[in-house]
Amino acid sequence: MRENHLKILQYVTGIGIFFLVGLHLLLMHLAKGDPEDWTSVAQRAASASWLAAYILILIFGIYHGLHGVRGLILEFSLPDRAVKVLNYSMLFVGIAVFGYAVYIPVHAF
Amino acid sequence: MEKITFKVQRYDPDKDKKPHIQVFTIPFKHGMTVLDGLIYIKENMDNTLSFRSSCRMGICGSCGMLINNLPMLACHTPIEELKKDTITVKSLPNFPIVRDLVADLSLLFAKHKSIKPYIIAPDMAEIEKPTAEFLQAQMQLEEFVQFAYCVKCGLCMAACPTMATDRHFLGPQPLAQAYRYSADRRDGGAKERFHETDTPHGIWLCHLAGACSEACPKGVDPALAMQLLKRAIISDSLRLRKKPVPPSVAPPQAEKKPRVAVPDFTIKQPGAKS
Repeated sequence: MRENHLKILQYVTGIGIFFLVGLHLLLMHLAKGDPEDWTSVAQRAASASWLAAYILILIFGIYHGLHGVRGLILEFSLPDRAVKVLNYSMLFVGIAVFGYAVYIPVHAF
Repeated sequence: MEKITFKVQRYDPDKDKKPHIQVFTIPFKHGMTVLDGLIYIKENMDNTLSFRSSCRMGICGSCGMLINNLPMLACHTPIEELKKDTITVKSLPNFPIVRDLVADLSLLFAKHKSIKPYIIAPDMAEIEKPTAEFLQAQMQLEEFVQFAYCVKCGLCMAACPTMATDRHFLGPQPLAQAYRYSADRRDGGAKERFHETDTPHGIWLCHLAGACSEACPKGVDPALAMQLLKRAIISDSLRLRKKPVPPSVAPPQAEKKPRVAVPDFTIKQPGAKS
């Protein structure tokens, strides 16, 4: 995968986070009613579209964050081999965090 | 201001472990540049002082130095403009020091060479045996002409904060030149340059600090070139980039017609009455 593909994904996930966090703000802070109430939480947890939204924000957030961290670490004059180690480490961390975090909404669904 | 104090970085790799500062006080003359001051020191006070210079008019890019903590051309910096009685002169940062104020720019030239800074024509037969000149409209020239003013002085590389942390980063000068040649309608080597610059230490490490454009003594805007290069690479990757139109070749010149002979009666004979 070329660097520009990773960068395009960074832009796409950034835009995605903007809209999904907007949705979160709308729901949790601006909508009428009590979104933290047990019944409304359970209602959202049982909805397939909410599950998809949670998973998407998780994927977007993990990718966007880890790619940003990778960009910071890359500036330490890493040789090619270390860049490869960094790439695989980031991939491993991303999959592990996703696997751990996705358990709750999937289990609740 | 009758006298000016120069704090000059000295470093002899055979004697010194690290660079140190030596102070010189010289007479000031109206219109004097920092390079004039260094030449005065070398001619009258210490002939062992090493620095690089050539044209003395901001064309060759040899005398790039860190003057009062900003990368500048010494010949292009009048002392009066600095508005200080003391001037600190050091070699360019982000480059190894050869001696005193002489920075080793070989890294810059190696990186510059790696992006293939020349026209890679799609039609090599025309390049090898040209039948005529390539046509280029004024608007096509304006797409890249400001980036062609680069004199390879290395000031942008010295100013770049990413260069300071990542020595593998290509840097503003090579990246701006990669765009300059890729934007040239006569060129067909954009893909090769994109491949060279689209790496972990390539174009994407530019954070648009803009220090390169601030430092450039020729008014080139490398930060803009890098942004345009990013756009070109992404457009190319998403297949949105317009297919470059092959350059058209000017038709061969028409054969010259023989000149019409000037009628005899129009030529004045020497000594003839008017």
